[in-house]
Amino acid sequence: MTTGSAQFPAQVTERLRELVFAGRAVAWLEVDDALTLIGAGGDLAPYGLAGLNLGVAVTEQVHVLEGLLPIVESPYFMPEVEIIKGRAADLHFWTETSGGEGEGGGSTWVALVEVTTQRDLTQRLQQKAYDMTLLQEKEAAFNRQLEAANAALVAAQRELEASRDELARWNKTLEERVAAQVAEIEQMNKMKRFLSPSIAELLVSSGDESILKRHRRDIAALFCDLRGFTAFSESAEPEEVSELLQDYHAALVPLIQSFEGTLDRFVGDGLMVFFNDPMPCPDSAERAVRLAVAMREAVAALSAAWRKRGHQVGFGIGIAQGFATLGQIGFEGRFDYSAIGTVVNTAARLCENAADGQIFVTSRIAVAVSEVAELAEIGMLPLKGLSRPLAVSNVVGLKDGDQKVVWLNRQTR
Amino acid sequence: MSVSVQQKKICMLGGFSVGKTSLVKRYVESVFSETYLTTVGVKIDKKTVTLGDKTVHLILWDLAGEDDMASLRMSYMRGSAGYVLVADGTRSATLEVALALRKRVEAEYGPLPFALLINKNDLRDQWTITDDDLEKLRTDGWWVRTSSARTGEGVEDAFTDLATRVAR
Repeated sequence: MTTGSAQFPAQVTERLRELVFAGRAVAWLEVDDALTLIGAGGDLAPYGLAGLNLGVAVTEQVHVLEGLLPIVESPYFMPEVEIIKGRAADLHFWTETSGGEGEGGGSTWVALVEVTTQRDLTQRLQQKAYDMTLLQEKEAAFNRQLEAANAALVAAQRELEASRDELARWNKTLEERVAAQVAEIEQMNKMKRFLSPSIAELLVSSGDESILKRHRRDIAALFCDLRGFTAFSESAEPEEVSELLQDYHAALVPLIQSFEGTLDRFVGDGLMVFFNDPMPCPDSAERAVRLAVAMREAVAALSAAWRKRGHQVGFGIGIAQGFATLGQIGFEGRFDYSAIGTVVNTAARLCENAADGQIFVTSRIAVAVSEVAELAEIGMLPLKGLSRPLAVSNVVGLKDGDQKVVWLNRQTR
Repeated sequence: MSVSVQQKKICMLGGFSVGKTSLVKRYVESVFSETYLTTVGVKIDKKTVTLGDKTVHLILWDLAGEDDMASLRMSYMRGSAGYVLVADGTRSATLEVALALRKRVEAEYGPLPFALLINKNDLRDQWTITDDDLEKLRTDGWWVRTSSARTGEGVEDAFTDLATRVAR
């Protein structure tokens, strides 16, 4: 079997030639060694090469050949080149020596074989593939965004849970604090019934409730009441009695608080105060005497107004010092903080014996305040409920003048 | 005054769908099409620029994008005076493709003037190529610019700069 076109009959060769040229532009160029166009033919117009001039540099007329000539290998093939819009061709390059051996010279031939149809077919397939790839890339990017958003969401959720836990902890702490404060307030209310507010707060803040338990302590007890109050209350209208008592209490209670005395009880016009319990104070006798003088002055001011209204009411005080049993007495719902003992009875009896404006004190008190108070000895007084008479003195006044001002100044130093 | 006229072949290289054809279209025809049409083989275009006393005809070879299916035919680069590497700012993998292409071109044809364009700057909020990536390339001595074929930003400058470098 032979190869090459020689084996084909002329009819077949012609048919093959027709098939190669059918429906596509085929053209050729011939270029010499100096890159001058020396020949051109075929279907040049579809490539925009209809007006080529022979004898002119080829690259000036066929731009696609810029840089390609002279060719470095022959034959050389460059596929699917779109030389002009919408028209693609395969470019085939080859060289052919024209003269004999050693003469040099020759031509470079360029054949343009149109492949627009095949190129467009490839383009359609490739377009689909690339569109699909781009879609997959977008999907992957979208998935990455989704995953990132999901991770952020999970992180936010964890943070939220952590915040919620912290909030719960805060709530618990807050509840505990509220409960503690409520307990404190309850305790405070309990204390306020028999202590000055400042002392009650001090005790509550220390959290020590043991002071309410029964105990013994050396105290200065002060009793005071109004002289002629029983007669007045019998003759006056209840409203008048109530008004007078209100003024009386309003004047004395703040004084008791300012001297940090413990108010034991009110019984009508009678009032009992003691010092050195529950708050310890080294000068309980002096405080009691200074309070007594301040009370006397306050009631004296009130008495002047009462006298104008025709009420003859005086004021007497008794003070004693000694050991008493103190603490919470009573029963659930009705507790009092109170002092019980001879010292309390003694102060009450001294008060009974004191005339209007008098402050009767025991000898122990008198000795304790001799430096600060002007005293007048009353003598030995037999007191009801006591087996022996007691040496009693009256507090005439204070050596340092207005005792309240002096006291308060001393407190602030 | 005599005017020198030169003709230079410039190739557009890069991954597929990075905007090579759109950049040429923007540069040559000042238009932009939203439709993406993949390039098969190569498309030839021409643009004439004047650089002082020089007139330079740029013969632009817009090569098919590089991807797994169609590897760049290095034969298209023959006779090229310079090239433009293009990457898509929204697809960081295309920068890797551009860097690999540059290595292949250099191995085959030696060092040639080139410009690296990070395209699609109009979609900056979707970029995955970072400023740090670009800064690193600049530190390594690369001519790197951002561009947008859609808006035209950076396109003219890139081609003019490359033309200046390839013109004798």
